[in-house]
Amino acid sequence: MAELLASGGSMEMVRAAFGNGADAVYVGARGWSRRRGQYEMDDAAIVEAARYARSAGKILRVAFNTLPASSEVPLFLARTDALHAAGIRDFILTDPGLMMALKNRHPDTILHASVGCTIINTQDALFYKEAGASQVVAECRMSKETMRKIKEEAGVGLEVLVHATTCYTLLGRCTMSSYTKHEQRIDEQGKNHFPGSPNRGGLCYRICLSDWDQVGPAGELEASGVELPNRAYFLADDIPELIDLGVDTIKIQGREYSVPLVGQMVRFYRELIDACVRDRAGFRMEPWRERMSRIVADRDAERREKTAGLIGEGRRVH
Amino acid sequence: MHGFELILSVASPREFEGTDLAPYDAVCLGSPYCRRVEGNYAEELGLLPEVVSRLHAAGKRAYVATPAVPREADLPLVERLVDAAAAAGADALEIHNMGVLRIVREKGRLVPAHMGAYANVYTHLAAGVMRDAGAVRVRPNAEVTLEEMAILAREARVEAELLVHGKIPLGVTDRCFLLTEPEESDPKCPSACGEVHWLTSRQWVLKTVGKGVLSGRDMCLLEHLPRLVRDGFRVFRVEGLYETASYRSEIGAVYREALSRAFAGGSFAVEDRWAGAVRRHAPRGLCNGYCFGTAGRKYVGTVLQDANPEV
Repeated sequence: MAELLASGGSMEMVRAAFGNGADAVYVGARGWSRRRGQYEMDDAAIVEAARYARSAGKILRVAFNTLPASSEVPLFLARTDALHAAGIRDFILTDPGLMMALKNRHPDTILHASVGCTIINTQDALFYKEAGASQVVAECRMSKETMRKIKEEAGVGLEVLVHATTCYTLLGRCTMSSYTKHEQRIDEQGKNHFPGSPNRGGLCYRICLSDWDQVGPAGELEASGVELPNRAYFLADDIPELIDLGVDTIKIQGREYSVPLVGQMVRFYRELIDACVRDRAGFRMEPWRERMSRIVADRDAERREKTAGLIGEGRRVH
Repeated sequence: MHGFELILSVASPREFEGTDLAPYDAVCLGSPYCRRVEGNYAEELGLLPEVVSRLHAAGKRAYVATPAVPREADLPLVERLVDAAAAAGADALEIHNMGVLRIVREKGRLVPAHMGAYANVYTHLAAGVMRDAGAVRVRPNAEVTLEEMAILAREARVEAELLVHGKIPLGVTDRCFLLTEPEESDPKCPSACGEVHWLTSRQWVLKTVGKGVLSGRDMCLLEHLPRLVRDGFRVFRVEGLYETASYRSEIGAVYREALSRAFAGGSFAVEDRWAGAVRRHAPRGLCNGYCFGTAGRKYVGTVLQDANPEV
């Protein structure tokens, strides 16, 4: 049965996610994951969360899925060595070089290729498998046909995001945020958090969601209020098909949301998946829609507020 | 290579037309953004033998771009493209997608691989993995600073290519945002991306080419060329996609002369006519911030900073 993976932006969120039925939770190592520092964890908290997961018979996965500088590779190795020594084996990575280095150093680690790898075809999946990943995250707009092909031909686990955002450009291949604002901020461990770069430090100013106009060569207005779509989605109708496809992990993104909202989302998907698995032939989506629309409304309200704050922060001159 | 290599990107015969290639040592043929670009060398495979031969006859190397976002359904084209580039005698394939790199490797590395702007090369370890799969050159991601690039190239033992002038690739997708209808039925396709369209939002300006987002300002490293020489960079790109023939010709001429002078050693100063040319072709100003660790749209320098009207 597909694993339900949820976000852990804090210890409280980790507990809420497990308490509401997640099989696994991912957390970000501070300075090393695709979210800003306030949604990441230091090593002590990660070890505590991993203990909690183990005591519940569940899995904690640690994201080191940013793209660092070459000079930061020793920091990465030291930090993952320490977590490995503390019993942590599950990691999420983006850089294929880091994947290979970690796998060679600790063959018993279980590596998942992050959404930041932008895996869009079977050959991509095979590439990351060869780099050491046992599971890959499907790019957010991947077709079911490609998912099926990866399952059949790549011999690698497949993870699908059911709650996430589809960026304007391909997630993991966008530097629009850091083009507008980018800083170097080095923490006490020597890790640069690269504020403004989602690929390198996690903080994205979501400038695609700003108010854009399209103008021609001489500055003449062609269209005002142009949308550069970056939409949050909440897939439910797809769940039965994903289960049928043999998807290994169904992932709920959202470390930046409130703990109660994450708890609600996890509970919703847990019950939906269980109901579907219990009676696949008789499963109908209709009864779930009203509850889903309430969660989506809450999610959208939180997202709007966060987005406005991020765009404002991005505009401020430093 | 006589000291350095200056590369120009050209998507199609239309972009080729009127462009003076004399300043360039190599041309990267094709657009990685969209298969529907008219005459895209990465799609119109029948054009490759003649254009590669023509470049070789002129003493230039010919590289061929591969699609940056090849979905599963595009992979058969990629296979044909790799075969066609090899048969035409192309000197390298520009690769952005790891799956494409794997295809090239599986085909026995018929053509060397150059990792392109969207390959997300940030560390020497990643570059090493790509090198082992057949890459002989990498273009580090735009966000990587000059200092980091030098470490990356040295540690991974690969050549590093550097964008010295032109729009910075900032994002890529497989949906065209200049169209309102599906590609096949929208009358604006394929002409829309051949026109100039800017996206503006108060102090921010970007250039959209439908499936790609580029910087509004032009990356310009003209005044920093002596430093690049000292740091060991030898391979430089002028981004010619979606620009005019005069842009490609005049910017190329500026950099040919400036790089030659920088490589000769001795004193180096930005000539007024060089500055005039880069300013004339950069209506939204100049930038180079990523190279120095600041936001990409910033300009770091003391000579051409006033060319940026919005700083």
